[in-house]
Amino acid sequence: MKQFFICLLALAAVVTSSAQTTATFESFDLAPESFLNDSGDDGGFTEGNIFLPNSYTVTPDYSFWSGWAISNTTDTLTPGPTNQYSAITGSGYNGSETYAVTFASPESRLLLTEAAAGGTVEGMYVTNSTYTYLSMLNGDSFTKKFGGETGDDPDYLLLTIKKYLNGSLSTDSVDFYLADYRFEDNTQDYLVKEWSYIDLAGLGDADSLQFTMSGSDVGQYGLNTPAYFCLDNLTTLDRTTPVKDYLINVAVKVFPNPTANWITIQWPEATTGNLSLLNSQGQIVKRGLLLSGDNQFDLQQLAKGHYALRIQTEKGWTSRSLIKQ
Amino acid sequence: MPFLVKLFTGCSLLCLPLWAAAQLDTLLELPAVEVSASTIRSQSTGSRSRSWTKTDLQRSAHTNLGEWLGEEGGLFIKSYGNGSIATTSIRGGSAAHTSVLWNGLPIQSPMLGQLDFSLFPLGFIDRVQLSYGGNSAAWGSGAIGGVISLQNTIPSDSTFALGFRSTLGSFNFQDHQLSGHYRKGNWGVQTRMYFRAADNDFSYRLRPDLAAKTQTNAAIRQSGLLQSAYWTPRNKHHLSFHLWAQGSDREIPPTTVQNQSIASQADHFIRTAVHWKIVQEKTVWEARLGLFRETIDYQDEQIHLRALTGFWTAQGEVEGKWAWNDQRQLHFGLTQLWVTAEADAYGSTPQQQRTAPFLVLHQRWGRWRLQANLRQEMVDRKFQPLIPGLGVDGLLTPHLSLQAKISRNYRLPTLNDLYWQPGGNPDLLPESGWSQEAGLRWQEQVGAHHWAVGITAFNRNINNWILWSRPEGQSFWSSNNIAEVWSRGVEYRLQWQRQTEDWAIKLTAGFDQIRSTNEIAISNPKLEKGQQLVYVPKQQAFGQLHLNWRRWQWHYRHTYTGAVGSLNVGELSAYQLGSSGLDYQLVLQNWHTQLFFQAKNIWNENYRVIERQPMPGRYFQVGLQVNFKRGAGPRS
Repeated sequence: MKQFFICLLALAAVVTSSAQTTATFESFDLAPESFLNDSGDDGGFTEGNIFLPNSYTVTPDYSFWSGWAISNTTDTLTPGPTNQYSAITGSGYNGSETYAVTFASPESRLLLTEAAAGGTVEGMYVTNSTYTYLSMLNGDSFTKKFGGETGDDPDYLLLTIKKYLNGSLSTDSVDFYLADYRFEDNTQDYLVKEWSYIDLAGLGDADSLQFTMSGSDVGQYGLNTPAYFCLDNLTTLDRTTPVKDYLINVAVKVFPNPTANWITIQWPEATTGNLSLLNSQGQIVKRGLLLSGDNQFDLQQLAKGHYALRIQTEKGWTSRSLIKQ
Repeated sequence: MPFLVKLFTGCSLLCLPLWAAAQLDTLLELPAVEVSASTIRSQSTGSRSRSWTKTDLQRSAHTNLGEWLGEEGGLFIKSYGNGSIATTSIRGGSAAHTSVLWNGLPIQSPMLGQLDFSLFPLGFIDRVQLSYGGNSAAWGSGAIGGVISLQNTIPSDSTFALGFRSTLGSFNFQDHQLSGHYRKGNWGVQTRMYFRAADNDFSYRLRPDLAAKTQTNAAIRQSGLLQSAYWTPRNKHHLSFHLWAQGSDREIPPTTVQNQSIASQADHFIRTAVHWKIVQEKTVWEARLGLFRETIDYQDEQIHLRALTGFWTAQGEVEGKWAWNDQRQLHFGLTQLWVTAEADAYGSTPQQQRTAPFLVLHQRWGRWRLQANLRQEMVDRKFQPLIPGLGVDGLLTPHLSLQAKISRNYRLPTLNDLYWQPGGNPDLLPESGWSQEAGLRWQEQVGAHHWAVGITAFNRNINNWILWSRPEGQSFWSSNNIAEVWSRGVEYRLQWQRQTEDWAIKLTAGFDQIRSTNEIAISNPKLEKGQQLVYVPKQQAFGQLHLNWRRWQWHYRHTYTGAVGSLNVGELSAYQLGSSGLDYQLVLQNWHTQLFFQAKNIWNENYRVIERQPMPGRYFQVGLQVNFKRGAGPRS
């Protein structure tokens, strides 16, 4: 029954779409052996018909990033976090140069935009990051080598993909094992080291995808295995009538970011905008109205963490990431 | 020497109960140049303490304090292996809940709030006192689970001495020590040096049916110098100076689930301390200055990581003791501490100023004595909790004594808790809470037999326990005052001694039942309400038998450590360790020679103290110590 339903959804997708768009990340003009982990005021990276949220925090004392990064580094040998942007394949899918990397802890999100907004993702290619792969292969100070002391531990690293549609998170999911040592016969144990295709058409229409990672090397502090994976060639189905436009060109400014108490949103449009603040679970925790110019909002009651600012107008919507300290 | 002067100096040196001091007064005369580093605050009125003299320590001078305390039992040493990092848990507290004093000055790292006990060569310590329970009112931040006081004194049995000690052992262990002192008139100097190295390439089995593996990348190399000088410029003035410089290079071995490690860590420090004491008929004035510099250089070329951290600590302390009358003493003082530290993750270079006035009242009524403490610390001019303490000791019958104490205790956030980025939280509050304890001790001399039996119960609640956690929706870990911990337990002790002309025998045993539980359910890290803290055993026991016969000394020490929770692999099994040693001493005129042999883990227990960290099976050490002594020490 489920398969029949999926087939119907797939058929509907074919019917309502006229073309596919594949995000290859090759449009990013990266220098050799480099990466982009700071999307600036854009709040993320746009490629094909997807938007990959990114946050880069700089203070006088430190800087860190979260969400997604774009990379073409090829180091498949160096273990540890200093090599967090490399794919174990040494290249993008099919020998291409560029791919995306994310740290999916506690989760990572990917938004569908333009003609793909509210539509279906056909599929994508994923592989392990070098950091994660070598951590599972050899272990390090904080993580175990898969198989454990005797080689018999039923270890695994699982990537789970769900979708958000109209603010609701799906119960259905697509699971993909980036490593699986659960076989009785240890010779069948494997770590993914090639680009592997995941069919996502079964998830149906989506506003965004949610990626979470779980595994067997888990303790009081959660998953020990570094929760990175690499993504390339994500294909979306284009709708003939886009259901939503994405206001990518609106020069909205949000500051200070990160913030402890208040934010100011500089709204350049003459028309009003409806503001929604979403937490990492996709729940709306605050609403507001944006008038032309500076708009201030009190965030003192909100928990610390990462939030998404979503601004809706008659023309469409845009989003920014926000960190509450 | 006036009675009060002897009382002050005697008590401060040996930390004996005041009511006992009068009886032992004749035994406590001090050499002219000796300056005690301990104070009236060291007296653990109302609580239990245990101490070891130079004679006890010298037998194992080739080991480190962590290894040795672990064999002594009565506390948990969280050791990552021979020569690797070793920290303490006393009465269910964390490693940062043990305050460590060196000649009266706290020496915990302000960055971590704790100390690595593997970096204390036992040969550099002349006396150790372990005081159980909270004593923040006397010693400030961190004195929650217990206080370990390390002291240096110049030997009083000779005017000139030179000593050499060399030990060889399994896993290419070698330890070589040189020491010497010279005393003349009102001054004396003492020098100690040591060099220690080991490959620690022991074999271990992960499972009986699997081939043995050999530990790799576990070598250590340490060397150090302790220079002391003592001077009594005038009859009532005593000055001492200590400089302790040490370097340690050690490899960081792989875990049992790690194929390889090439990581290493270098620890270097210089600690200097000056102590000036003026002893008058009714008052004693003391001033201490300490300047410490420590660095840790962690390197792992495999992951292209190098982390260099370091700190400076400068501290000064003045205190006065005034004998109101024979029954009452007042003790007051002020401590001032300045710290600064460097770490890439700090970004800037944080500094901290701590100021703490304190007051102690000692009152004696017959066979009872009472000690009331009060301390108020300010950190960067911000008032911290007011810390009171009240303890009482007394004899219920000629053989039965009672001890009871109630105190408030606290621990300031470390610099890492405050400033490590991301996640450091400058708004952290200190951990604080109340502790209570009560104990009974019965002791009696029956002919040549001396018996002592004791039982102590304690209870402690600590609020605002600092935990690195990840609140919902936050992508990074940060330090927060989110936990509450309830620790309670019962400690049983037994001691029997018998001495004849030719031989002496001493049996010591103890058993501790400790519950130390988290009282608030937390999601990240995953902690359930009522869950025992990780690496805090619910039961631990120890037993020791020492036998002296003429020139021979034999000992056997046994410890039992109950199962402990770990961060990742569930419960680690309970284990029992036995160690034994045989010494032979030969004294020929001025030459004192000692041959010794020690066997560790003699039952070849396969055990883990820390998850994924293998420990060595049975191993051996053999050594020789030769001392040349001349002249008797001057008496005051």
